[in-house]
Amino acid sequence: MGDDPRRRSGREGIVYFGAVGAGLSHELSNVFNIINELAGLQQDIVAAAAQGGAAGLARVTDLAARIKAQVVRGEEINRSLHRLSHAVDEPDGSFDVGETLVLFGSLAARTARLAEVAFESRPPKTPMAHRGDPFALLLVLHACLRAAIAAAASERRIEVLAEEGPDGARVVVCSADPLTDLTSDAAIAEMLEFGCAALAVAPRLERAPGGGDLIVLNLGPESTEPRSSG
Amino acid sequence: MAMDRVLLVDDEVVFLEALAERLRIRGLEVVCTASGREALTAVEEQTFDAVVLDLSMPGLDGLETLRRLREMQPELQVMILSGRATVQTAVEATRLGATDIFEKPTDVETLVQRIRAARAARLAHEQEVAQEAIDEIMRTKGW
Repeated sequence: MGDDPRRRSGREGIVYFGAVGAGLSHELSNVFNIINELAGLQQDIVAAAAQGGAAGLARVTDLAARIKAQVVRGEEINRSLHRLSHAVDEPDGSFDVGETLVLFGSLAARTARLAEVAFESRPPKTPMAHRGDPFALLLVLHACLRAAIAAAASERRIEVLAEEGPDGARVVVCSADPLTDLTSDAAIAEMLEFGCAALAVAPRLERAPGGGDLIVLNLGPESTEPRSSG
Repeated sequence: MAMDRVLLVDDEVVFLEALAERLRIRGLEVVCTASGREALTAVEEQTFDAVVLDLSMPGLDGLETLRRLREMQPELQVMILSGRATVQTAVEATRLGATDIFEKPTDVETLVQRIRAARAARLAHEQEVAQEAIDEIMRTKGW
């Protein structure tokens, strides 16, 4: 166990955790700022009504709905943060690949939006159980997303999907723009290497039938033994 | 009398609309844009007393938008209103010519005061430019 790649991926995992955590924290701040501004607006409207201004009942009702929508948004962000935190609990347990893709979709939304790429995460319609480290899968998907964002040119569309392949579960990252070498950025390459080692997968670059490129991750049959990175 | 005219730039549209409504209640004329690129177009086509600019936005971020706005109109009064301005970004924004740095949540009355002050500064600058033009005419025509 001395050379267990899961242990060596600690630093990469913390970097990913920090980046995603900071993004979620920023999104939560946005929610609080919006609620603060809506509350201020409500005060303005109530004050105007008290001074004999136009009846503000409909506007106050509308504001309450806008505040509630932000609370729902904040709760979703918090749920993602909670799931991310628990993704490190069981590095060898059974997890649902689809649920991990849904989580990755919400965690990656801000990164994709800031990079001005259209991003979609498409989980399978039925549960897809796999044994291994869900956090490592998040790490690998994040590295793939960053590589695809770095290569995004005219199309700027990225999708992540999971499907049953001939050798078991597989996850595919689809970039509408051609991908360059996945190892050209050192930080992405390290994250990918350590994540793949922990997951015991080797990413494969393929041409997409309709244009663009695919990164294919064959998760394979359930396994508890990590593949050596060396 | 013309109203104080402000351009708000923020990609959080719900925030943008709520702040705009609060400023309008206080008698300001407000134009909203949800990106740096839209802000550049708005400033190219319209006159504003002040621009209130978020830092973290898709595409052109706040600092790059600020730099381009000041290139287009060096006298434009641009204020930063951001949720996460670090010391480094605040220093950079000031170096690029931002007149104020506000952290969200900010007091709307303070923001209104600064926008009104920006209008006064813009009018004073216009008067100065006009006076220089008059002085130049007087000098060259020899009246």
